[in-house]
Amino acid sequence: MKNMTDFPSQAPLLEVTGLETAFEIDGELYNAVDGVSFNVKPKQVLGVVGESGCGKSVMSLSIMQLLPKGIGKIRNGQITFNGQSLEKLDDKKMNKIRGKDIGMIFQEPMTSLNPVFTIGFQLAESLHNHFKLSKKEARGKVIELLDQVGISRPERVVDEYPHQLSGGMRQRVMIAMAIACKPKLLIADEPTTALDVTVQAQILELLQGLQETNDMAIILITHDLGVVAETCHEVLVMYAGEVVERADVVTLFENPKHPYTELLMRSIPRLDEEEEKLASIEGIVPSLKNMPRQGCKFVDRCPKAMEECRTITPRLSENLPGHEVRCLLYETSWNREGMSAK
Amino acid sequence: MAELADKTNLHIKPQKRMSPWAVARRKFMKNKLAMVSLFFLMTISILSFLAPYITTADISRVNIGSMSLEPSAEHWFGTDKSGRDVFTRLLYGGRVSLLVGISCTMLIIMFGTLIGALAGFFGGLVDTMLMRFTDFILNFPLLVFVIVLNAVFFGKLGGVPVLIAVISVLGWGGVARLVRSKILSEKENEYILSAISIGSRPSKVILKHLIPNVLSTIIVQATITFAAMIVVESGLSYLGFGVPAETPSWGNMLSASREPDVLQNMPWIWIPPALTLIITILSINFIGEGIKDALNPKSLR
Repeated sequence: MKNMTDFPSQAPLLEVTGLETAFEIDGELYNAVDGVSFNVKPKQVLGVVGESGCGKSVMSLSIMQLLPKGIGKIRNGQITFNGQSLEKLDDKKMNKIRGKDIGMIFQEPMTSLNPVFTIGFQLAESLHNHFKLSKKEARGKVIELLDQVGISRPERVVDEYPHQLSGGMRQRVMIAMAIACKPKLLIADEPTTALDVTVQAQILELLQGLQETNDMAIILITHDLGVVAETCHEVLVMYAGEVVERADVVTLFENPKHPYTELLMRSIPRLDEEEEKLASIEGIVPSLKNMPRQGCKFVDRCPKAMEECRTITPRLSENLPGHEVRCLLYETSWNREGMSAK
Repeated sequence: MAELADKTNLHIKPQKRMSPWAVARRKFMKNKLAMVSLFFLMTISILSFLAPYITTADISRVNIGSMSLEPSAEHWFGTDKSGRDVFTRLLYGGRVSLLVGISCTMLIIMFGTLIGALAGFFGGLVDTMLMRFTDFILNFPLLVFVIVLNAVFFGKLGGVPVLIAVISVLGWGGVARLVRSKILSEKENEYILSAISIGSRPSKVILKHLIPNVLSTIIVQATITFAAMIVVESGLSYLGFGVPAETPSWGNMLSASREPDVLQNMPWIWIPPALTLIITILSINFIGEGIKDALNPKSLR
């Protein structure tokens, strides 16, 4: 199923370096995304995992420049898409990219469609925004799109209202909307979280199929490692706004390094092992205001925490080729550097 | 099996295909009170606006020969103290009152929606500035302003357009606040984010996505405003600060009852405009209530 192509030779489609996105709370800026860097190559599926509040969604909104105005803003870092610096573009220029070159799917299919318009009307909007089309042409294209995302009887659904569709169908419509202009990159922000398990599998299959036929790259944001294992080529594990581990999917599942990743793996329910209680990670992600300024941000929840973890901030370093980890356990140089810093 | 499925589909098709507006229209048609009100309002409007074709009597000429006549076959509602036919003046008066009401409502709704939508959608500094301006407008005393303007422009500019302009300029504050609050909650919905994410411009997001979703509130507010504006016009005219005295309007006609003699002994002069005014305003409110019920997805009717 998984197409384990090697990507290193290709130039990246999206390059994010040192991205810092901050929110203003009581007049002070707090980083929700704290120095995240990664690449997405053409046709690559990148998984971003992490629990609620770790900055996954904020990161995706940053790429699309959809942060709530006046509250959230990009402080630092570059987002380069196809040679263009997105963070420097104004809204007008960004609007030409949104929907055309980068598509986005949201978590909540129930509220992602405008209740007062028909499906056809909303899908056509995406086309009208970027192409000059007559109404008839747009309608034909919309029906084609609905068919492509696996909706049966597209000629009828095109004239229906969102409330007449089920959650799974709405998510299919959302996907159709996002891919209407054949974007090179699709950002899927927890596309299956609100759906039930059988529908989840169908939606993932659909995304994979579209990725192959449309030759697009996907950033799949999720908190479900099962989803990652099924669909992604490479995985970023995020915690508290930082990337804590990055590896290709096979390596990550066979050999998770960071204690957080290990714990995440352990909390996947397994049918083949008999366990009374599902493993969980104690505690929650510290809130933006209470984020430790020094040392590892995971230290309070980490079973392998050492004394040094509180004082020395770990760096994301390449442990093995193509496998980066942010943990003192794997940082060989921390001892000397840490000492010399003191 | 497939045949059966087809049949069931066909069976539910007409019901399922209805747009939210069609559902609301059907609900509204079932509301008897609202329908009667609508019928009454339409009749009044048509009669008023076709007044020149219905009666040929001159509305402003003083007729000394027929002063203060009681209702008769010739003068259905009698004549007033200047000998003018009350029925004719009632029709022409409706013209002015309804015109003022509709024009003010349209201007107020348009302006209020525009300001409210901009403030709600953009937020931040835009919101603060527009809303402080709205507060300023809301605090402005309408009556004093109208009286002063009336004094300034007396006889220089036509009365009715000036009155419409003044009422509208000072009246949009409440609508702006209401629309802003609705837009604020509506814009949090993910479909707004998804509309922006497919590259829709802010103007398109506001006009195509936000306003249609708050339209039900705006429509209901429009009916309330309509009724209120007719009352404002009548009140001002009654006090002598509204429509110029020689132009008939329901308020102007009512002002005749300021004379105790008319109030006590000549009820035919003031009862027709008073009753028409009351029933018109009631009708508008019932229609508004009907629309509110019809647009509310949770109402059972």
